[in-house]
Amino acid sequence: MEKVKKALTSNKMVTFVWVLGLIGVWEIGATVIAQSKRTPENVLPHLYQILDSVFSDKLINSTQTALQVVLSNAGITLIRALIGFLIGIAIGFILAFFMSMFKLVEKTFFPYLMIIQMIPILGMAPIILAVTKNIDSSRIVIAAILTFYPVATNTLAGFKAVEKEKRELMYSISATNFQIYSKLMVPSCMPYFFTGLKIAAPMAITASILVDTLQGGGGLGTMLSQSLKHAMSIYVFWQIVFFSAIIGILSYYLMVVIEKLLSPYKRIKKAKKGVSVVGD
Amino acid sequence: MWLETKKKIRITKQSVTTILYPVLFGVLVAVLWQTQVLHKMIGADTFTLPLPGRIFAIISDNAPEIMLNVRATVIVALGGLVLGSLLGYLLAILATMFPKWGVGGLTVVSAFNAIPIIAIAPILNNLTKDFSKDPNTRSMLAKMLVVMIMCTVSMSINAYRGFTELKPFSLDLMTSYAASKTTVFFKLRVPNSIPYMFTALRVSVPGSVISALVSEYFAEYIIGVGRQIRENIVLAQYATAWAYITVACAIGIILYVVLLIVEGILLKGRR
Repeated sequence: MEKVKKALTSNKMVTFVWVLGLIGVWEIGATVIAQSKRTPENVLPHLYQILDSVFSDKLINSTQTALQVVLSNAGITLIRALIGFLIGIAIGFILAFFMSMFKLVEKTFFPYLMIIQMIPILGMAPIILAVTKNIDSSRIVIAAILTFYPVATNTLAGFKAVEKEKRELMYSISATNFQIYSKLMVPSCMPYFFTGLKIAAPMAITASILVDTLQGGGGLGTMLSQSLKHAMSIYVFWQIVFFSAIIGILSYYLMVVIEKLLSPYKRIKKAKKGVSVVGD
Repeated sequence: MWLETKKKIRITKQSVTTILYPVLFGVLVAVLWQTQVLHKMIGADTFTLPLPGRIFAIISDNAPEIMLNVRATVIVALGGLVLGSLLGYLLAILATMFPKWGVGGLTVVSAFNAIPIIAIAPILNNLTKDFSKDPNTRSMLAKMLVVMIMCTVSMSINAYRGFTELKPFSLDLMTSYAASKTTVFFKLRVPNSIPYMFTALRVSVPGSVISALVSEYFAEYIIGVGRQIRENIVLAQYATAWAYITVACAIGIILYVVLLIVEGILLKGRR
């Protein structure tokens, strides 16, 4: 009895009940809409209808089922998002590194790092497409821009949070600059660095999908807008909505897992203090 | 005395370079842009990347039309921001009142943060189709709801932290006064949550502008700065699109500065 009670009030149970509740709200909404609309699947289909379309083997174009369409296009989008994400991480980390090494660099670029947070980069997606003239490279560029600034600001905050005494100790035992950074600064900024990654990962995916919607070719966004225009089954749209939501959430937890794998338990505690940066 | 003045001079020299370096960098970029060196560096032409002078000329030529779109975007962004922040604050209050179930709810809500706006915007467009006969009103509502969802999360999580991460022993002190739960809430928790509210707003103010712009892409009615960027690019009027991008950046920066000023006034001496 005691065990059952404990299981019923555990945190996982609470989350589970909440998710059940959300599903319930969705289904009630879907039932209401199913009775009042002529084409309910365009507005709010039942969840089982969406699931059904995931597993159905009916071809929606000449060669592929709905799920195959979604997955093959997801590959195109996510690879570009990943490349952009990695480039963004590299640029962000290097910039933060130089900003902490040289005062001049910090003074020059820090205000711009602040400003770039306030301006809507996603809104600039079409123009970057126009400048680069290539859907693939503009996906990468935008994902990289959106990744680089949370990484840069958080990593810099991490470098700055290193206690002065520790640096002085390193200095007093005549450690070289390289040793100071490799033994002290970089390891201790890792929690902050990962805070940046957690903010950036879902953003890179969002950006990549958004860029897709701007032009034909392949990608989740293209399929999303085609499906909305009824060029193919509307369930492709619903599958993409859920797929992108799940991928967005998974990308966040992937960063959490990588952080846990890379850093010992003690460092993680500090991560909670990382600065927050605009996310969308 | 002499030491003090010397120190002061050093501080001013510091602050001068703090302003000087970024400004110099900005001027450098502007000069490279205007002289088209920047174009050669990234391989663009003046058609897709017009000169700054031309962009500002377009802004001043089309001022009334641009203002109309700015108004639409700002109404959506601010409306969604207010709705979302209120809802988030309310959720945080509920979570504080019922910690066990509330915290679980907040975890679920925070998962919404990772859902791309692109997935939410079209759903809401469809859902609000019956709200009004006027396409402008109903797409306005759909856009506002998108912004609301994006803003709720950061407010609810931060406000919850503000309600619960109290100063050590302050709760004990209140208990020793035999303060009721309501008194604790209004005299201790609410004031404690104000700085956290601003932390949330610092994330959600720029976020609201971004969500407003992106939700305009999917809206039924063609209005707003974000939609104009896209429409003008479809028409290959890149210079006009750049004018709208400049305006969009200005909206983001101005709203953020307003927030900082309000924060400075309200939290005087608290930080």
